[in-house]
Amino acid sequence: MTNSIDNSPASSRNNSPMSHTEASTASSTTEKVALSLKKRHQKEKRFKSIGLFAVLFGFMLVVILIGDITSKALPAFHQHWVKLDVNYQSDWLSVDDSSTQQVLAKQLKSANYRKVLKNSVYQMFSTSTGKKLSRKEKRQLFKLFSTNAEFTIKDALIAAPNQLNKQVTVWVRLDDDVDSYLKEDFAVGEAGLRITKQQAMWLAQLATEARIESRFNVSFFTASDSREPELAGIKGALMGTLLTMFVTLLLSFPLGVAGALYLEEFAPKNRITDLIEININNLAAVPSIVFGLLGLAVIINLFGLPRSAPLVGGIVLTLMTLPTIIIASRAAIKAVPPSLREAALGLGASKMQVTFSHVLPQAMPGIITGAIIGIAQALGETAPLLMIGMVAFIVDVPTSIVDSSTVLPVQIFLWADSPERAFLAKTSAAILVLLTLLLVINVTATVLRSKFEKK
Amino acid sequence: MTTSEKTSSPSGFTSKLHLDKHISRRFNEELEQVRTLVMKMGELVEQQVNDGLSAVLNADATLAEQVIERDKKVNSMELEIDEYCTQILARRQPAASDLRLIVSVIKSITDLERMGDEAVKFGKNAIKLARGNFAEEEGARPLVELKHLGKHISETLNTALIAYAQMDTDAAYKIIENDNIIDEEFDNISRLLVTKMMENPREIKNALRVTWCARALERIGDHTTNLCEYIVYLVEGKDVRHGNMN
Amino acid sequence: MNTIDIKQNEPSQVELNQVELTQTVGNIYADDAKMSIRNANVHYGDKQAIHNVSLDLAKNQVTALIGPSGCGKSTFLRCLNRMNDTIDICRVTGQLMLDGEDIYAKELDPVLLRARVGMVFQKPNPFPKSIYDNVAYGARIHGLTNNKTELDEIVETSLQKAGLFNEVKDRLKDPGTGLSGGQQQRLCIARTIAVSPEVILMDEPASALDPIATAIIEELIDELKEKYTIAIVTHSMQQAARVSQHTAYFHMGKLVEMGKTEDIFTRPSHKLTENYITGRFG
Repeated sequence: MTNSIDNSPASSRNNSPMSHTEASTASSTTEKVALSLKKRHQKEKRFKSIGLFAVLFGFMLVVILIGDITSKALPAFHQHWVKLDVNYQSDWLSVDDSSTQQVLAKQLKSANYRKVLKNSVYQMFSTSTGKKLSRKEKRQLFKLFSTNAEFTIKDALIAAPNQLNKQVTVWVRLDDDVDSYLKEDFAVGEAGLRITKQQAMWLAQLATEARIESRFNVSFFTASDSREPELAGIKGALMGTLLTMFVTLLLSFPLGVAGALYLEEFAPKNRITDLIEININNLAAVPSIVFGLLGLAVIINLFGLPRSAPLVGGIVLTLMTLPTIIIASRAAIKAVPPSLREAALGLGASKMQVTFSHVLPQAMPGIITGAIIGIAQALGETAPLLMIGMVAFIVDVPTSIVDSSTVLPVQIFLWADSPERAFLAKTSAAILVLLTLLLVINVTATVLRSKFEKK
Repeated sequence: MTTSEKTSSPSGFTSKLHLDKHISRRFNEELEQVRTLVMKMGELVEQQVNDGLSAVLNADATLAEQVIERDKKVNSMELEIDEYCTQILARRQPAASDLRLIVSVIKSITDLERMGDEAVKFGKNAIKLARGNFAEEEGARPLVELKHLGKHISETLNTALIAYAQMDTDAAYKIIENDNIIDEEFDNISRLLVTKMMENPREIKNALRVTWCARALERIGDHTTNLCEYIVYLVEGKDVRHGNMN
Repeated sequence: MNTIDIKQNEPSQVELNQVELTQTVGNIYADDAKMSIRNANVHYGDKQAIHNVSLDLAKNQVTALIGPSGCGKSTFLRCLNRMNDTIDICRVTGQLMLDGEDIYAKELDPVLLRARVGMVFQKPNPFPKSIYDNVAYGARIHGLTNNKTELDEIVETSLQKAGLFNEVKDRLKDPGTGLSGGQQQRLCIARTIAVSPEVILMDEPASALDPIATAIIEELIDELKEKYTIAIVTHSMQQAARVSQHTAYFHMGKLVEMGKTEDIFTRPSHKLTENYITGRFG
């Protein structure tokens, strides 16, 4: 409109109607925009609220899950011990107390502690009630204590042999049924699940004498699997998992990165590489149990590697994670700006130098992320490991990658399958440990990632 | 003070226009080169004007020949500077003060070249005057007037060139304002010569020659004024031509 | 088309192919040629990007390659240090000589060639490393020095030549990516100089920079030509006018005109050149 300042009256006359039409179209445009604007804002609002709902819903589910698991797992972290007056009578032990110390020490190792335990317990309760216990009562009474109790009193005596023929107080574990009973809210002396009225009365008596104590469950972390829930621990499974992951990481990371680098930077683009690419992508979608079958058929049967070993588990999981790592690494390598490659090439760097001193460090954060996704996947994998025998009941803690072992998820699966009530808490506790492990790996990855990004 | 002493030092010119402050060193050098060339041409033209004038006043044919010969140099300098400025315009795309510098230089050298042409007119007239004896008989009085005007013009030109070298707008304004003095003096000489011509018609030819010389001086004065106007344009960015002093 | 007879100026010391120059006007020959290109053709698959281009790069002078987008000037520049080798479908034919040596000879390793013919790119692309490591990188990979003092010296002189040393001398350990755009580009130039190349190719080195940084880079190019032969591709004709001694105008993959910069910008011989540099439709 400003250029309508014109000396000639003719042109100014021409300008005025034009400005009028322009103004009218402008106002109608504004109206139309204003009209549609309301709709657009509404759409935006709707989308925002849907998104927020999705996020909140997901978050809520996670909170419920973690909360549920944690609440179920908590009882597994402590267990009840009982203080017994153990009478190490040499005739109960069937040892000769007059023999020399060397001989005695040897005899103590193979002595009859079960008899000591039984007799001490019967003595404790018969003196307190003043009447003789029946056979049935004796059996019920003895059931209160863990099968491990006789070994506990054995260790106590071997640690201090001078207590022979003396009465000593020793803390022993209670049986898992008793432990579960004590952890639940029953009235004093009331019979519980797998606990008779009589047993409940005895427990009440022990409690009033302040002989029962709840302690932190150390053995959960230091012991291996056991048929007895009060003795079962996750150390074996944890070690198995760590060893398996070690093998998996050691194999899949270098292989995956090397494969990705070759395919992205060196391989000629032709039909064969296309085929390889398609296959890798397909491999990522293969059900994991198929890898287990492959491991069983090829690695164990053909190559003769030991079954149930973390080495075999690691190899099988490597097969499973390799496509994930390759795909993620290739994406990360592709994302490295070509200008960086050009800069190095322009200075006369060879392809190898460009790849290893520029492309790889730049792609590293992405590669690490991919590797972590792969490893996390492997960490929770159960099916392929079932196929190669890592599901076996193994009491020993594995110390090398060829020892028989199991892994955390399989352990969880086994415990969840067990009939004993106490294993319910153990299962949840093991899940918590698994989640913690996952968290540790993720945090490590984040730290590593930020370290690489800073460079 | 001679012009060359004043103009050879780049202080006033360069510092006032910040000609040494470009990021491109070569651009600095090029602008400095233009400046030097223009000042050289100015000196040459000044010498031409002075020599031409003294050739006329002294009826010195040899000096006159020299002046005519040297004009070729002035012309070639104009071509050289023109080409140089074209190059700078094409390659540097000068802006603001740099642009004004190049524009004013292109205009200035045209005026300088015209002054050179006026000096040639002196030379040609001097040769013809030298053949007669106008100077001794009838022309004594007008020649004194001419000498007077010539001295004034010569001084003005000198001042203008120094002002150009130093970017001294005060001096330039003064010259622009005093332009009418020259015009008045030219009118005086014209009137005097008309009287002479009426008194002695045989000397009309020579008297006309002196008139042309006076006319040439007046023209040189105008060109000098133009130079000063370019100085103002260059320094202040104001166009003060055609009496537009605001 | 007023094709100038160019055969007269042909330098005799280098044995070069006969030139078919029906498409080019002006003078493609330099008295002292560092690089000589004769009848270069570049194909991308079935598409021909460069048609029969022949020109010389004068030693210790700046040659600007100008032309509209997609005219092949960048492609041509990248042929000069075989950067196009990285593209599988790219095929280069013709004679491309550096000091009389065929740079596309089978036995010549492109790595060696790129050490002699350095390149500066459009976008400043310092490595995500320290300033020092950026400059030292080329010297390191080529094994130019064995000890730290020599390397320090190379880094310092390169930064000085690139006019960056005074600005960064206190923070050589800082990342190169933390510098401003103009400084980054000078760092890239320093990095290129550190390898002591003979020729520096610049692919629109100032197109991502502000005017002041551009002016500094241009001034730097002017100084660098004392030691290096420079070829610069630029979108800005003004830049070509400012920095170069020779200008080559490319159009649709053909070299339309080449000559001294002052001639190209004051009296171009070809209509297409005239149209381009005056901003008319061609």
